[in-house]
Amino acid sequence: MSSIPDDIFFAGIAEINQKLTKKEFSAVELARAFCDRLETIGPRYNALALSLRKDVLRDAKEVDGDIKRDRLRGPLQGVPFGAKDLLAYAKHPTTWGAKPYADQVFDYTASALKRIQKHGGLLTGKLAMVELAGGPSYRYASASLTGPGLNPWDNTRWSGGSSSGSAIAVALGLATYALGSETSGSILTPSAFCGVTGLRPTYGLVSRHGAMALSWTLDKIGPICRSAEDCGLVLEAIAGGDSDDSSSARKNFYYTPQFSRDLKDVRVGFAPVDFNEGVDPAARGDYAKALETIRSLGVQVTEAKMPDFPYGPVIGTIISAEGSAIFEPLVKSGKVDQLADQHQIAGLKAGLEIPAKDYLKAMRIRALIQEAFRDLLSTVDVLIAPTRFDPAPKITQPLDRRASDRPVPTTPGLTALIPAGNLAGLPALSLPCGFANGMPMGLQLVGSPFSENMLLAIGKTFQDHTDWHKRRPPVAAA
Amino acid sequence: MSKFTRRELAAALSTSAVLLARPQVQTQPLPANADEELKASRAQIHDNADQLDKFPLPMTAEPATTFKP
Repeated sequence: MSSIPDDIFFAGIAEINQKLTKKEFSAVELARAFCDRLETIGPRYNALALSLRKDVLRDAKEVDGDIKRDRLRGPLQGVPFGAKDLLAYAKHPTTWGAKPYADQVFDYTASALKRIQKHGGLLTGKLAMVELAGGPSYRYASASLTGPGLNPWDNTRWSGGSSSGSAIAVALGLATYALGSETSGSILTPSAFCGVTGLRPTYGLVSRHGAMALSWTLDKIGPICRSAEDCGLVLEAIAGGDSDDSSSARKNFYYTPQFSRDLKDVRVGFAPVDFNEGVDPAARGDYAKALETIRSLGVQVTEAKMPDFPYGPVIGTIISAEGSAIFEPLVKSGKVDQLADQHQIAGLKAGLEIPAKDYLKAMRIRALIQEAFRDLLSTVDVLIAPTRFDPAPKITQPLDRRASDRPVPTTPGLTALIPAGNLAGLPALSLPCGFANGMPMGLQLVGSPFSENMLLAIGKTFQDHTDWHKRRPPVAAA
Repeated sequence: MSKFTRRELAAALSTSAVLLARPQVQTQPLPANADEELKASRAQIHDNADQLDKFPLPMTAEPATTFKP
């Protein structure tokens, strides 16, 4: 039985690292305890793709040796983490959550994983995901090699996707943090549904080398953690230029909350309709309090209006065209029919028929979207909106049908902020901010490219004033 | 006045962000088999193209090719 106290499974990165360096427990003991928990609880929620117990215990032994010799490598050293099974880990299966790739093995490791391992991070396992990161679209939560991601707060509901296992693992204390990826909502959505904190970095800030491509021009790798502070620590490790990734912005990121802008100088834009009419009525009280908390931080809160663009058709066309081109060999081989979701199979096949003119039109409109957001984000520094407007749906609910039958709001507000932010390559942070009938809800903050430090400063201060991110779901019995 | 239609707004409020492309998701029955799924996906692609066609695109607008701000 583990000698690691339960609270450690839900502790922050810095706290765990501090206890390791004080030798309250060893990295081997910690890694073993996290592996036990991941292997026992993970499968109950369909969160585990592959345990890496043998490798991580070897790595943990090295970390213990380093700590013994005072070779300290920063806060991630010795801290266990998990990674979405879309990231290659050399000589081990990387399934992309999809049956046709169940036996796929790479001989290299994704750059983001290598960077964390260089800092002494301990990779305990690969985490489940929606097959092929959900591209181009899917209808059911069951679109995964490992089955539907079950929500830690109610296992009859979905965890969100496509970084399902990453969010589940963090919420249940199976990993201190996890890496996920986002093309359009795949970090923010599961973070909101599972009650954890997720950061979508600026496009190009984190190398995509070794990650499955769904959309070359939209994919981002980012952390899912329990707090904004932890997201900052992880981002510092994984960000940076990479000659193996042609989209790399070749910029580093230093998490410097001590040098963040005075919040009194920060202008926050929001659309009242999102909070009054858009979001689930059961959560409106918590959202009102969240807005009040944001105001109390001293920021300047003002109303903002989303630029008018056909965001859905633009992002749908781009993901379909790029995703189908990427997976053309899968479609042509016929193995696409092994995928779990019929809607997804059809989408990949049909995407091959998109004319070049339509893809180019979508990309031309996208350029205007980027320009419009540059203008908007010169009038406000941050946009805030509910991350998702409804709580996690039942796992049997078709995801392209609204779970709610309440009236559609009179104006759109910032409902399209997820596709818009992804099209413009903007960073976003989702913070737990309350509950709707027992299910977590999230608040998203979106800023200009490379404004992660500002988003994290607001997120950290918000979390200093609230405790939503500290809530723990009950663990389902075996 | 916003160019969003209420149909688009309803779609935006559905769970799957990737499915935001779908303008009418509330009333259509689910496809019953693989052939119907393929037809529905093709119809979706055409619908997206129609929506893009309606957008007044200036001739000077070039495709977004740089994502490094």
